[in-house]
Amino acid sequence: KQVSSAKPFTGETKEALTPYDNVTGYNNFYEFGTDKSDPARYAHKLTTDPWSVTVSGECENSGTFALEDLLAKVQLEERVYRLRCVEAWSMVIPWIGFPLAQLIKQCQPNSRAKYVAFETLQRPKEMPGQRSVFSTIDWPYIEGLRMDEAMNDLTLMAVGLYGEMLPNQNGAPIRLVVPWKYGFKSIKSIVRIHFSETMPATTWNLLAPNEYGFYANVNPNVDHPRWSQASERRLPSSLFSPNRIPTQMFNGYQQQVAHLYKDMDLERYY
Amino acid sequence: MPVSLRRVTVFVLALLPLIYLLQAVIRIQHGEWNLLGPEPGRAIVFFTGTWAFNLMLATLAVSPAAKHTGWRWLLQHRRMLGLFTFFYASLHLLAYSALLLEWRWLEISQELIERPYLTFGMLSWLILLPLALTSTKGWQRRLKRRWKSLHKWSYPAAALMAVHYLLQIRSSWFEPVFYTILVLALLGLRRWSLLPASKERLSAE
Repeated sequence: KQVSSAKPFTGETKEALTPYDNVTGYNNFYEFGTDKSDPARYAHKLTTDPWSVTVSGECENSGTFALEDLLAKVQLEERVYRLRCVEAWSMVIPWIGFPLAQLIKQCQPNSRAKYVAFETLQRPKEMPGQRSVFSTIDWPYIEGLRMDEAMNDLTLMAVGLYGEMLPNQNGAPIRLVVPWKYGFKSIKSIVRIHFSETMPATTWNLLAPNEYGFYANVNPNVDHPRWSQASERRLPSSLFSPNRIPTQMFNGYQQQVAHLYKDMDLERYY
Repeated sequence: MPVSLRRVTVFVLALLPLIYLLQAVIRIQHGEWNLLGPEPGRAIVFFTGTWAFNLMLATLAVSPAAKHTGWRWLLQHRRMLGLFTFFYASLHLLAYSALLLEWRWLEISQELIERPYLTFGMLSWLILLPLALTSTKGWQRRLKRRWKSLHKWSYPAAALMAVHYLLQIRSSWFEPVFYTILVLALLGLRRWSLLPASKERLSAE
């Protein structure tokens, strides 16, 4: 697997990495259960090879593609990003991936494509959380981005972390990483990409629209109704200190993304 | 079994969650940093909260259980279970304030006011406090008949615990709903004695 930087990248953080055990052992991936240790416990049952991604909607190059064919045309690189969960904890993770823009160019979206929607695998046989009668999520998990967000250089499609292939519990074999948005936007185990003219529905927004917006940009000034977003617990916490740090606007990526929202009321479009 | 031996048994059983917690804390301090995961403080807050609720349910189950089985000796252990409920609820509040908010008083008070689920949890503890303080034989004598009506405040305290838990549902509702059903069932069993005019069917210890 080739890992090299095609061009100088400006979003790199120098902060200490979150240990591998936490990155791969403390996950929200409700397809495998709602406890944060469930994904690490159950995700090994997931078959990630063969894997294909279906591209549809407003684009020239639609169809179903084998993952290896899609990856043959992109250049992998390592990027260390902060990950800020909407639950007010955060990690620093060295991802391996490629800008989503490279994949989108392969699909050749047309001028009507204003949004890109994503869908996670739905395979209850291998995903116990999808069999649970206690979940209120309507599977499959769906997410989406505005086209300019998707084309931003920060927006990554990850296939690995810590220099190795993505563990299943982290969204193998291919997932989205949008570092200036809350973690739930970074959809895992993607099987479908759809270009549309209208804003796509997204899973958490459907569940609780007053708590989770479409944009979900990290914003210390807009609280979640049940907790403050002004600070975050950088993991790992130690026993007697939660290691709390102030949350930065756009998770510290203002330079790269603030222009995308310059005329928007972020209190309203949270 | 003599009552003193039963009391020791109940005491030790109710202490087991604390013993588990202490050994975990000791192991974490001795290098097993990831034993309770990357958020040990949060894990401890959740653990103590769960056990406060478990003991609340056990306390509420005593009198219906005594009534249905005829084992009146069960009533001799209700006070200790109630005190352990208060003990774990206090640990829960302490862990929240110390481990999650690091004693930042301004923030603690703001959170308690602004977040309804925290307000309800706090109210529940505030109700348990005078019940724990007046749990002695001395106070029972001093308050006479009023003691009993005072200690019926454990019912709203339990209901508030359920609300505190229900308001935290994100997508998985099973556990909060299960606990709430248990609270409703245990309170439903005594619906008659909740009415002020009705006579006591089962006298306390």
